[in-house]
Amino acid sequence: MKKIYLHPLPVRVWHWINAIGFIILILTGVQIRFVDQVGLMSFETAVQIHSWLGFILLANYFIWFVYYIFTGKFFKIYIPPFWKPVEFIKICIRQAKYYAYGIMIGDENPHHPVPENKFNPLQQISYLFIMAVLIPVQIITGLMLWDPQLFGSVVSLIGGIQVATLIHTALWIFFSAFIIVHFYLATLGVTPMTHIKAMFTGYEDEH
Amino acid sequence: MRGITILSLVIFCFLFSYFLPIKDAVSDDTKSCLRCHSVKTLSKQLENKESLSLYIDGSKFEKSVHGAMDCSSCHTDISLKNHPKPKKIASKKAYAKEVSQNCLQCHPQDSLMKPEVHGKIVKKNEIFCSECHGSHYITSMKDWKKKAGFSTYCMTCHQHAITKTLPSKEKLSLKVNESEIKKSVHGKFECIVCHSDFSKINHPIYNYKTKAQYRTEMTQICTKCHKDQDLQKNPAHYALTKTASCIECHGYHGVKPAKVAKSLPESQYCLNCHSRAISMKMKNGETMSVQVKEEDLLNSTHKKLKCTDCHKEFSTTQHPMRTFDSIADYRAKSKEVCNNCHKEEVLKYDKSIHAMAFKKGNAQSPDCLKCHGYHKVSWITPDKSARNELCVKCHTREGDAFSSSVHNLALKQGKKDAPVCSSCHNSHDVMPTNIANLNASCLRCHKDIKTSHNKWLWNPPVRLTTFVDTHFNSASCASCHTQTNKAVYLTVVDRAKKKVLTEDEIAKIFGVNSNEVKGKIDFNGDGKIQEQELWQFMSSLKAKTHANLAGRIDVLDPNDAHKIEPKSKTVKDCAVCHSSGAQLSGKIEINKEGTKAVKFDFERTALNSVYAIPDIKDFYVLGLTKIKILDILFFIAVLGGIAVPVGHITLRILTAPIRRKRKEGK
Repeated sequence: MKKIYLHPLPVRVWHWINAIGFIILILTGVQIRFVDQVGLMSFETAVQIHSWLGFILLANYFIWFVYYIFTGKFFKIYIPPFWKPVEFIKICIRQAKYYAYGIMIGDENPHHPVPENKFNPLQQISYLFIMAVLIPVQIITGLMLWDPQLFGSVVSLIGGIQVATLIHTALWIFFSAFIIVHFYLATLGVTPMTHIKAMFTGYEDEH
Repeated sequence: MRGITILSLVIFCFLFSYFLPIKDAVSDDTKSCLRCHSVKTLSKQLENKESLSLYIDGSKFEKSVHGAMDCSSCHTDISLKNHPKPKKIASKKAYAKEVSQNCLQCHPQDSLMKPEVHGKIVKKNEIFCSECHGSHYITSMKDWKKKAGFSTYCMTCHQHAITKTLPSKEKLSLKVNESEIKKSVHGKFECIVCHSDFSKINHPIYNYKTKAQYRTEMTQICTKCHKDQDLQKNPAHYALTKTASCIECHGYHGVKPAKVAKSLPESQYCLNCHSRAISMKMKNGETMSVQVKEEDLLNSTHKKLKCTDCHKEFSTTQHPMRTFDSIADYRAKSKEVCNNCHKEEVLKYDKSIHAMAFKKGNAQSPDCLKCHGYHKVSWITPDKSARNELCVKCHTREGDAFSSSVHNLALKQGKKDAPVCSSCHNSHDVMPTNIANLNASCLRCHKDIKTSHNKWLWNPPVRLTTFVDTHFNSASCASCHTQTNKAVYLTVVDRAKKKVLTEDEIAKIFGVNSNEVKGKIDFNGDGKIQEQELWQFMSSLKAKTHANLAGRIDVLDPNDAHKIEPKSKTVKDCAVCHSSGAQLSGKIEINKEGTKAVKFDFERTALNSVYAIPDIKDFYVLGLTKIKILDILFFIAVLGGIAVPVGHITLRILTAPIRRKRKEGK
């Protein structure tokens, strides 16, 4: 069995901090929003944890950002071959077909991860969008809500605090759903623990 | 003891009387009485403590018209057998009434009614025979009339409290104070010098309908001597003569010298007339006193000013005659007097809610004079409680609320930085509280308050005062610093111009009258704004302008803002506001220029509507104003997220035999 070094240490560190942070942020978000219905902790505690973690994840985002940008891997791994759109759409459909049908009948996963191309096309689109758009937007709107006065000019730029809240809440909804699906998809390796182990060790078993 | 005293007195008088020369002309009966009543010191104390002399001068009595009559002819209740006996007499007036009844035995009523004026006096029963005619020394009327000087003749009756009731139901006193005349400039005049239509045989009766008419007509008496050309020598005074009768300023009989010495200070010149109880009439019939009390001037902060420093158009030679529609009109114009020196204060006042109410004709609304007085303008008192009293005179409810506050406690304790009403509300530019940023008023005294709030009110990981500002900008200090009911207030604003939209402006946008704006927001007229009404109102408003709703949290009853509590009783639980179940009412404010906003209750669920996103752009309170539909979406998303693996696993379980077969086939 061949092992491929898919996840370098900075990526793994970033991933797990992000993972724990995400879960706690979602939960404290729930507590803040449903203060009357949920009793995990007080409103004040929920806000404090949420704010601390927000900044931790902001810093954490830079680990990812610095690593991928400075190594140039971002462009190789995250940017889909938009210069070959037809081909890319084809492999997207192929991948989707695999999850919807192929996996059921025992087809092989059409995507074989290698360090330079570790994401299947659907992952590539999703992660590019999440990492380059959604997380930065969530961080920025988070900052706006963290101190609406300090970021007042940005708040007015996007059309007021309601818009900032709407975006932040909509992304919370998306991430809540995404993380559940993400947990599940992480188990769809050769064995249920293949991908998860890889995210700890960095090495993925190649079958 | 009393019996012994009376007995001793009788014996003494009896013995003493043998040494007194008693006239033969008087009857024996009278002689008997004079044995005692010739004693000069004989007197009686009446029940009202007046002293009634019982002395009779026998020789004078003898010469009187009743000299040959027995005493008992008039004193029918007294005889030698029953006298002296203690007799209770209430007062001289009561005794005069009692004794005067006996006159009617010989002087029948109809003869008394013949001279018309005399008849009126008798009929009125205000004064009695003995009060005018005397009692024991009455001479014949003919002789008396001949000898009596005019003043004596007139004062015989007019010294008494006689009155005349006019058709207007006003009572006119006909009593003349002789000493007042003596002290007046006319002190040496006989009555008929002025009242020339009167004489000893002629007493005309005037039939004036009102006092005012009486004063006007009587003024013609003055002009007999004080001719127009004399009056014209003093233009200021001459102008006044065209507006008021002489009597109104100079009085009736106590006319004081009006010569103003050149050396007199100017204010004294004015006070010559204005120290008297003079008044001016407004067009609407109101009367306003124009009396100036010198002591008010001397005690005022303006004591070093001359009258003309304020009343610039007046001088010792100029006294313009002004007319005003009403006292309110006068007060509105009098502001210009203050404006001569106090420009800044007047400018501020003009912007105030007080000025607006005053312009609208609220007579109770304060202007310069209402608070500062006319001439009694006082220094700003160091007594802070007294300063508050001025406002509390009208604002009693607010005063009561304030009295229970920590601020009032500080006042009572005499703390030098304790606030008064004007500390927050300003003194001259008092603004409607929804426009005035009252938090700024708090910050005026509580300077380091942001830092102290920042000790606990901050968002990790960085302690920034901007986070305090966020709260200060969207909640009034009173929201947390009082234990009262609170509300979310929505105010209609023009978001582009960053200004409040007033009721008049909204009316203009809709092309209706201001009073119709209410109907534009409360269609069903139930006094409460339902969600649908609010969004419909906003959408029609937004179609024509950049309207939006600004939000803030404040006390439900604005008056409760006065009930600031000590720190220990401050609201410290964030969830009081930051929860969907927060006990906050909903209020919509539509501002009015310079006056209090119109307020409506609204359904607070509107804050959780998706329409709040575009219509309440700049107000969001975590938990409180969350958009309900997003909660539903969250649950759908979570369920959807769970459904994906559940569905996929189910399919994988179901398709497991296919995979097995395929594997086996391999």
